[in-house]
Amino acid sequence: MSDEIDTEVTQLFEGARKEGLSVIETAHDLHALGEAKVRVLGRKSALSSARSGLRGAPEEKRRSLGQLANAVQTELEAAVAAKQRGFEASERAARWDREAIDVTLPGDAPSLGSLHPLTQTVWEIVDIFIGLGFKVAEGPEVELAKYNFDALNTPAHHPARSPQDTFYIKEGEEEFVLRTQTSPMQIRVMESQEPPVYVVVPGRCYRRDVQDATHLSGFTQIEGLAVDEGITMGDLKGSLQLVAREIFGRDLDVRLRPHHFDFTEPSAELDVQCFACRGSGCRICKQEGWIEVLGCGMVHPYLLEWVGYDTHRYSGFAFGMGPERIAALAHGVADIRMFYENDLRFLNQFGGIR
Amino acid sequence: MRVSFNWLRELVPVEETPSKVAELLTLSGTKVEAIHRPGESINGVIVAEVIDIGEHPNADNLSLVEVRINDADTRRVVCGARNFAVGDHVALAPVGSTLPEMAVSERRIRGAISQGMLCSGAELGVSKDHSGILVLPPDSAEGEDVVTALGLDDTILEFEITFNRPDCLGMIGIAREVAALTGTELEMPDAAPATPSDGASPVDVAILDPSGCPRYVARYIEGLRTGPSPGWMATRLAAAGFRPISNVVDTTNYILLETGHPIHAFDADKVTDHQIVVRRAEGGECITTLDGIERTLDAADLMIADPSRALAIAGVMGGADSEVTEGTADVILESAYFDPASVGASSRRHLLRTEASARFERGADFDAAPYAAARATKLIVQLAGGRPSGDMTDAYPVPLERRSISLAPRKTEALLGMRIAAARQVSYLESLGFRVTIGDETLAAEAPSFRPDIQRDVDLIEEVARLAGFDGLPSTLPRGVAGGLDSRQLAERRLRRTLAAAGMHEAWTTSWASERDLDALALPTDHPARSVVEVANPMSEDERHLRTTLLPGLLRSAAHNLAHRVEGVAMFEIARIYRPTGGLPQEPLLLSAVFCGLHRPQRWHGPGEHWSFWAAKGVLEAVLTAMGVGETEWSKVTGMPWHPTRAANITAAGVTLGTMGELHPDVCERFKVEQGAVVAELALGPLVDAQPGRVKVRDLPRFPAAYMDLSVVVEEAVPAQTVETIIRHAGAPELVEVRMFDLYRGEQVPGDHKSLAYGLELRVPDGTLTDTQANQVRDRVIRALHDQAGAELRS
Repeated sequence: MSDEIDTEVTQLFEGARKEGLSVIETAHDLHALGEAKVRVLGRKSALSSARSGLRGAPEEKRRSLGQLANAVQTELEAAVAAKQRGFEASERAARWDREAIDVTLPGDAPSLGSLHPLTQTVWEIVDIFIGLGFKVAEGPEVELAKYNFDALNTPAHHPARSPQDTFYIKEGEEEFVLRTQTSPMQIRVMESQEPPVYVVVPGRCYRRDVQDATHLSGFTQIEGLAVDEGITMGDLKGSLQLVAREIFGRDLDVRLRPHHFDFTEPSAELDVQCFACRGSGCRICKQEGWIEVLGCGMVHPYLLEWVGYDTHRYSGFAFGMGPERIAALAHGVADIRMFYENDLRFLNQFGGIR
Repeated sequence: MRVSFNWLRELVPVEETPSKVAELLTLSGTKVEAIHRPGESINGVIVAEVIDIGEHPNADNLSLVEVRINDADTRRVVCGARNFAVGDHVALAPVGSTLPEMAVSERRIRGAISQGMLCSGAELGVSKDHSGILVLPPDSAEGEDVVTALGLDDTILEFEITFNRPDCLGMIGIAREVAALTGTELEMPDAAPATPSDGASPVDVAILDPSGCPRYVARYIEGLRTGPSPGWMATRLAAAGFRPISNVVDTTNYILLETGHPIHAFDADKVTDHQIVVRRAEGGECITTLDGIERTLDAADLMIADPSRALAIAGVMGGADSEVTEGTADVILESAYFDPASVGASSRRHLLRTEASARFERGADFDAAPYAAARATKLIVQLAGGRPSGDMTDAYPVPLERRSISLAPRKTEALLGMRIAAARQVSYLESLGFRVTIGDETLAAEAPSFRPDIQRDVDLIEEVARLAGFDGLPSTLPRGVAGGLDSRQLAERRLRRTLAAAGMHEAWTTSWASERDLDALALPTDHPARSVVEVANPMSEDERHLRTTLLPGLLRSAAHNLAHRVEGVAMFEIARIYRPTGGLPQEPLLLSAVFCGLHRPQRWHGPGEHWSFWAAKGVLEAVLTAMGVGETEWSKVTGMPWHPTRAANITAAGVTLGTMGELHPDVCERFKVEQGAVVAELALGPLVDAQPGRVKVRDLPRFPAAYMDLSVVVEEAVPAQTVETIIRHAGAPELVEVRMFDLYRGEQVPGDHKSLAYGLELRVPDGTLTDTQANQVRDRVIRALHDQAGAELRS
């Protein structure tokens, strides 16, 4: 085999490379590139026929010429691949353009409902007491006058018993009232069990109050009762201080102020430092710097005796608070009648499931 | 109770400021609700004497009034009122002065220049009267600042006095508290009348009911002259909210304010034989009280009478015809102690709450009766002349005793959780007027006669605690038990949350109801909801009974929202209804819901959808499933308030859950909600009792299922639920899921028929279902549908 042949074969490969690159270069889309690939790398390509010329080449040249053939093939394949990546990239880019959306269009929200603000408030308060080791009870709204007044040490001639203040019920022979407080449940709970008693009682109550921004003839209360050995007024203070701060703000001052209830002795009202003005006096606290939040006291021994508890062994504390008032304060509701109007523009502000 | 601080200072030598005293009282249980400073916003207003009243040249209803403020200075003002005469003293607000609501400037009124204005009581903020100008007492001095002339340079403390503290309904009671809190001494006003006795009392008192009236003190004063009260007294009465009337009547009110002990003055000439009889009313007896109302008395009313007729309802109000009037010369003063229960009962019976009844029904001071009479006598003699005639009568058949209570000082510490030395406890009690005897382990405290609230040792503990201050109490926590909600309470919370998660808003409506609600729902007379618990004393026609259904309240809430252009309403309420039983009513909980208007609003990529029966049913089904209620059955229900053909009773395992459906169009109209509104009302019990319990996971299937669709044609009257039940039963056990996906009526099925299409999922637990097995199930289902429902396979 002469050098001429060698040179000739080399030129054939070189020609296949040049022509192949030019064919690939001129392909203008993926389809054309497919055809071009067949033309420059297929069985009938110039490269392929040049390779067949190798068979006549002498043994000692075949190795280097074979390497040349492979190099040309690799280069052409790489050119096809590069071209293909280019086409694919622009194809994708075109797709992205076609598929573009306006991400600022409104979403399609599922409609979430809401729990009533009073439900949320009652749960919030009840849950704090559950954390302190209380259980939850409920009782009748139409109540025996005996439980609503007598058992609670209300004097026989107390004006609260008058039909001007309390709703009476026409029914059967016994005298029934619409309970004016959840306190009769103190008696019912104690009658049903022995100490220790740790219970909170949410529920509706009724008073013949003319309705206005702060009064309803039907309203909610949460009663609480703890009776155990060695319960002190310090326990009352500590428990209610904690609850008031959880609801209104952990950094607020809380004070107990002496008051009077027939069924507690000593009795107190709990004031929280005004969360709006922090005690300096504003419209919300009526310039007092303090907001009255609940009534409470040490369970009067009269009640313990009524249910047959040993007053030498047991003592207790009790309290009552109004979720309407607390919710109104906490959420800035100016008129508690809003809570019973169920205006969705109002309820929606308490939306989301808490 | 409104207390003048200047007056208070006459009774107790307190150095602290009004605000400080208010704080001390508030923190010891006598709560100050408000502090008023009436003179603060009046500046430059002075006393002037009217010297001439002339015509206004251009206005008939106005006059030109000339007033003198000192010997050299007069002013001319235009005035619209005519309730005064030349010589009267009036309040002149000259140009440049200020009143609570305005600054006074020179003005031309209908062509005449006014150099200021004459003030009404309302303009000065001392009363609500603006019918005329305020005529000042004649003892005021020309040119004097009105603030001092009217005693407005004062601070008024307004108290909330609790029912147990009648003693604090008097100045002396408040002063006693202040003395105890500040370590000062109460100075009791001088009462002893200087006149020596000139013989037996001319008043004869017969107490026929000593339990109703344990004590009756009477004092005869003769030869007095009624007339206006002096300025200082009128001012104090006005500040406390009393309208000044005359020196005698005002003195009785003044004594009530000062001592807290109500007294009454009768015109002695109107009391037959000067004889007072205290007795219960007689059958059919009547009295016209001071307020001009004729009242028929009850046999239980305690009366003050003379031998011929009733003179007063004891402790509540006097009678009109023995009233002290302008011509009265002799009076009989009454200072009594009445039984609290008796006064309270009369007050309630006659719907008559007075300053006197409020004090007697809480418990007056039984030892104070002679003092109050003597103090009043002194003032009346001083202000109206006259002289006491004879001794005071003090009818006191069975003297009342002060209560003595023993207290172990250690019990105080144990109940409060705070150390207070026994000696300190004693000194607190003594400062409040208790007489304390100290024993070994206990002390004995005799309660003062003005403290009816002190009944047992805890009452003493409260006295000690409130003087020691609640500030000193420690903050501790009780030990508690294992707290928490029970399973029903947890289920109820889960139910509320699930309903909200399903897009519903929770509502709270009131418990009140009326016949009108039930009529609006057109419930038949024998409907269970017509059996109601009635309120004996409702506040309005709409609140005559307790509700037996939650629907009216919810529908009103829905209507309220629709009226405010809310597009759609999906609301629920969980609350009690009340069912009469003869004894205490049953108070079961219901879950009710209303769906109306738009379910989904129109969106940019889709149309709006209205609430429909099925949309609402879907919500309810999802919620029932979440609550663990098993398969439910829906059967048509008729009767008001339901749409005659679009409502269903819902049962589960034979237990009735409730009803759901469209409201009757007439009911929608009456409640002003859109036609087609869907409502539901379910008993809560079965829902919270269902209790799915702890989830136990089923293994996921390891072999593939076979799926097939089935379309069948049935008569229109066959309910879809029947078809589905047949499929389920016939397809078991391989058939594990059925889902209806199409309902067709039209050309391709015979008239009066419908086509229902179901997707079926079949599987066996231990392998892949073969085609043969699947076809066997399919054939079984088709045969059963044919046999039981007359169904044909749709070709």
